Amino acid sequence: MQLIQNLYQYRELLKSNVKKEIRGKYKGSFLGVLWSFINPLLQVAVYAIVFPYIMRVQTDHYLQYLIIGIIPWTFFTTVINQGMIVVRMNAGIIKKVYFPREILPISVAISGLVNFMISCIIILLFCLFGGIGITWHFLLFPLIGIIQFLFSLGLILALSAINIYVKDTEYIVQFILNLLFYATPILYSSTLFPEKIRWVLQLNPMTEIIDAYRSVFMYHQLPSLEGIIYVLLIALLILFIGLAIFRKLEKGFAEEL
Amino acid sequence: MKKNEDCAIKVHKVTKKFKVYYDKPNTLKERLCFWKSSNAEERTVLKDISLDINKGEVVALIGTNGSGKSTLLKLMTKIIYPTSGKIITNGKLTSLLELGAGFHDDFTGRENIYFNASIFGLTKNEIEDKMEDIIAFSELGEFIDNPVRTYSSGMYMRLAFSVAINVNADILLIDEILAVGDQHFQDKCFKKLHELKDSDKTIVIVSHNLRSVRQLCKRAIWIKDGVIKIDGEANKVIDQYLEECK
Repeated sequence: MQLIQNLYQYRELLKSNVKKEIRGKYKGSFLGVLWSFINPLLQVAVYAIVFPYIMRVQTDHYLQYLIIGIIPWTFFTTVINQGMIVVRMNAGIIKKVYFPREILPISVAISGLVNFMISCIIILLFCLFGGIGITWHFLLFPLIGIIQFLFSLGLILALSAINIYVKDTEYIVQFILNLLFYATPILYSSTLFPEKIRWVLQLNPMTEIIDAYRSVFMYHQLPSLEGIIYVLLIALLILFIGLAIFRKLEKGFAEEL
Repeated sequence: MKKNEDCAIKVHKVTKKFKVYYDKPNTLKERLCFWKSSNAEERTVLKDISLDINKGEVVALIGTNGSGKSTLLKLMTKIIYPTSGKIITNGKLTSLLELGAGFHDDFTGRENIYFNASIFGLTKNEIEDKMEDIIAFSELGEFIDNPVRTYSSGMYMRLAFSVAINVNADILLIDEILAVGDQHFQDKCFKKLHELKDSDKTIVIVSHNLRSVRQLCKRAIWIKDGVIKIDGEANKVIDQYLEECK
């Protein structure tokens, strides 16, 4: 409650921070903000060439299948990568003034969400002109986006705080992200696995999230209810734990930095 | 501890210890290897300090370098937290510990007023209302629309001070920054501080400029080696402080 009150009072700071995150990342580069859309597209191009021909993956509309996997995944990794270091990057102001420290990770997550919402235009374009079409189901994607937002916010609250005390966190997380990329059905379909072990894959919240996006964009159906409830619960749990860790550790930020 | 309405800052049995590392373990490996054999030394900067500052009081903290004055001020702003004890503040608080927090060199003075004021927790409307006052106070004139990196250090400080002093806080914490700008601007700052004092704001100042402390403050607190040596009427405390410094 206190947090919401604080955020409301400091909303101007939150707003300008979000703007800074969105614009600042590619500041100085020629194409600027456009990079946040070009990057995932280039990645898609690579996989779209490599996988069907070399790995002989047989999935209908593989290009769309990839895009719907990669764009939310990019949202996830950008938030984690930027969020993890956000406290360290703002050492200067943390040592100088008081403000609710939570604003830093929150603005990273919000800027990621905004970027993602805009990127979804790309998904829609590919669906429209790629022979899949769209139905009203796609209107549900912001909801899934918000669940993903809560999930990643919880993670970066914890990680950004821990990273101040143990600098290895960045490298460990980097490795886990790489691993997770292959443990999530982004490039392949989870039906490749036999029923018996598929549940392992389903434990990964990102699997459920990406499956949900595919349901609403590609298969024109409602995402599985159990899946959504499962990720929502996980997201809230992670958010709660993340916030508790952040609260516990933030008191030492100014001294540790 | 009951909440007293007249009390602006309540410091209750506060102790602050800093860990001084000779070789700080930063990585996981070092943390694990030196789990037990810590090479940190604890240094107690403040020892069991209690004090109340009432609303509308102007208080100076004096003492030699390293006596813990600035640490106490940082604790009051919640940049750092006490090892034990409690600090309760009542009302909107602004600190002028270091000027220009959140300034970006490539942006203009006007844009930086937004950044800086938003860190102090002001909303857009509030900032726009105060914009003219802040610019007028800083006397930057047309320079306000130039990037901050083109400013001289004096101009930079003037802008930063103008923002901080115009945010309309109930409690103002100031750390030795009255040496801002030229004589003219310093006089102006003092006039502003006197104005704030008369409008029932609470001000805590850390200063070595004892002459201005005498003018501005009724009460002074002398901190020596992390404990309060004397707390009382400004002139008396300063006289005794000067006596010992000889």
